[in-house]
Amino acid sequence: MRVIVRSAAYRLAFAISLVFALATLLLGAAILYAAHAALARQMDDSIELASNVLITEYHDEGLRGLAEAIGQRGGRPDALGYALFDAAGRRVGGTLNTGMPAPGWRNISFLDPVEGPDPARALVTRLAGGYRLVIAADLEPLEQIDRTILTLFGAAFAILLLIGLVGALVSGAYLRRRLARIEATADGIVAGDLSRRASIGPRNDEFDRVAASLNVMLDRIANLIANLRQVTSDLAHDLRTPLARLRNKLETLQEPLEPVNRRAVIDEALDQADEVLQLFDAILRISELDEGSLRRRFAPVDLCKLVRDLGETHAPLAEDVGKTLHVKAEGTCFVEGDRELIAQAMINLIENALRHSPAGTGIVLGTRKAPGKAIAFVHDTGPGIPDVEHERVLERFVRLEEARSSPGHGLGLSLVRATADVHGAPISMSNIDGFEVALHFSAMEGLSA
Amino acid sequence: MRILIAEDDAETVRFVERGLSELGHHVSVLGDGGDALRLALIENFDLLILDRMLPGMDGLSILRRLRAADVATPVLLLTAMGRIENRVEGLDAGADDYLVKPFAFSELAARINALGRRPPPQEIVTRLASDGIEMNLLSRQVRRNGKVISLQPREFQLLEELLRNAGKFVTRTMLLQRVWDFHFDPQTKIVETHISRLRTKLNEGGLPDAIETLRGVGYRMRAE
Repeated sequence: MRVIVRSAAYRLAFAISLVFALATLLLGAAILYAAHAALARQMDDSIELASNVLITEYHDEGLRGLAEAIGQRGGRPDALGYALFDAAGRRVGGTLNTGMPAPGWRNISFLDPVEGPDPARALVTRLAGGYRLVIAADLEPLEQIDRTILTLFGAAFAILLLIGLVGALVSGAYLRRRLARIEATADGIVAGDLSRRASIGPRNDEFDRVAASLNVMLDRIANLIANLRQVTSDLAHDLRTPLARLRNKLETLQEPLEPVNRRAVIDEALDQADEVLQLFDAILRISELDEGSLRRRFAPVDLCKLVRDLGETHAPLAEDVGKTLHVKAEGTCFVEGDRELIAQAMINLIENALRHSPAGTGIVLGTRKAPGKAIAFVHDTGPGIPDVEHERVLERFVRLEEARSSPGHGLGLSLVRATADVHGAPISMSNIDGFEVALHFSAMEGLSA
Repeated sequence: MRILIAEDDAETVRFVERGLSELGHHVSVLGDGGDALRLALIENFDLLILDRMLPGMDGLSILRRLRAADVATPVLLLTAMGRIENRVEGLDAGADDYLVKPFAFSELAARINALGRRPPPQEIVTRLASDGIEMNLLSRQVRRNGKVISLQPREFQLLEELLRNAGKFVTRTMLLQRVWDFHFDPQTKIVETHISRLRTKLNEGGLPDAIETLRGVGYRMRAE
């Protein structure tokens, strides 16, 4: 019973069946009223008709003729009763056994020879000499019909109520069962089994659709959790190396050392500490980007000029490692964004091109325009990244096997992606004549030359 | 220098106070923002170091009230996170420089030096010189011992920054901010590479090294 009271499904089903039953009851009352009124009018009409005929007879033939006519009619089975009273109130004609009523339409009681006292509808007409003509119809048939209608609809109401009750129980149980499956899945997940999914039926009804949406949501959450676990363990792994080295350096410093060597060890220890700090800086920066609140500070940035500046700044770095860096960025091209974030992203791309390509590689840093777009790209003639890995390298801490041995924390491209996301700029990668990564910014209307 | 530090983190206070005293500065420390504001209003300091997050009153509010009261003492703001928004807010409120916690003491020391001897704003400098190196900011010409040295624009800016602070250490972060306008660490060797090119050009012909490097701290131009 508690289950039923607390179940919205049951309550709803009950409410609907109750409304239907009440509607039936209302319909019954209306029919009863209408039928009763129609029959009563019909009864009055036939009394009036008989009265007219008899009065005409009375006018034509006088009291005698009237009495005769009453006598003849008394035998007819029209269910009407007649009585003629003299001025003293004595019944002088007709068989209707009743006292003399007042003139006009009356509800009277008469003595039925078979059934005893019975109510009747009567029209009492005053005649000359104090005589009164009473014509009455037994109300019994009308009451009979009222009773029939009442019984019929009463039964219909009861049956509907019963059907509603059963229907409510059945549909309520069905709804509860469907919902219980989803509930069970949720409970399972709460209990720790993240692989649980709601079952989806073949009908694609609303429950199936809700279950399907839930499953998609759960997949997404499971993915995020898996990603988080991966990131956590990668982070721990990446931190262990510099921290272990730092520890070793500090241990070395406990030994007596020549001042020169001591200085060198301290420098190395500082490098390891810096590496840890850089890793955290990168993580903080990405999470700041993920928040998206930076968008409020966006201002026009001349992407072409920024790329030229970065090219000028990084050309010597390329030269130092036996590579070349050329710039192809003409004129101006304004995009809405954060100059420093875009700069950092482009620097990461340049850094990647420098780091993961053989000596002699030519790198081109440039911009190009497309309708409504300002595209910044870094192209190199190095080996590139296999197509299948393009999506993966943008994830956090991902370093391809070939890059394992080189320095870096695998966050560079994640930062590029976070920057691209916050600027609404899609990233493209292609292995044509080498490798190109491009950021497709929306050009600012009216500002691009 | 007389320095007021408004900072409530005991660990930071300990190492900053000890370091600055070691360098010969007179340091006053207050842990409450309201107290710091009152003291800064009545006493003359050469520099205020304000933490953004303080009990009583936060660093930004102190800074705004001081500037509203026409106190022009240089202010170095300490912020807990390197959030770009925080930095912009701080500079907008009238801070002369900012430093992100946690910081290396050498970074703080370099910035305090730079702030303490900043020339008054009305003074327009057109010529910088130190240790035989001359720089004309109008003709953009650089000479060492009379011989013209041709520099790339970045190298010129780098040298300008070093000359302006001749005799003092300028950190890598300061150079990134002032020469490249990068308020982040690009984690590349751009500063090192450009310094190395500048150094090669300055020292051409076997001249003694004009730029001193202190690992983990920064670079220093020899003063006359």
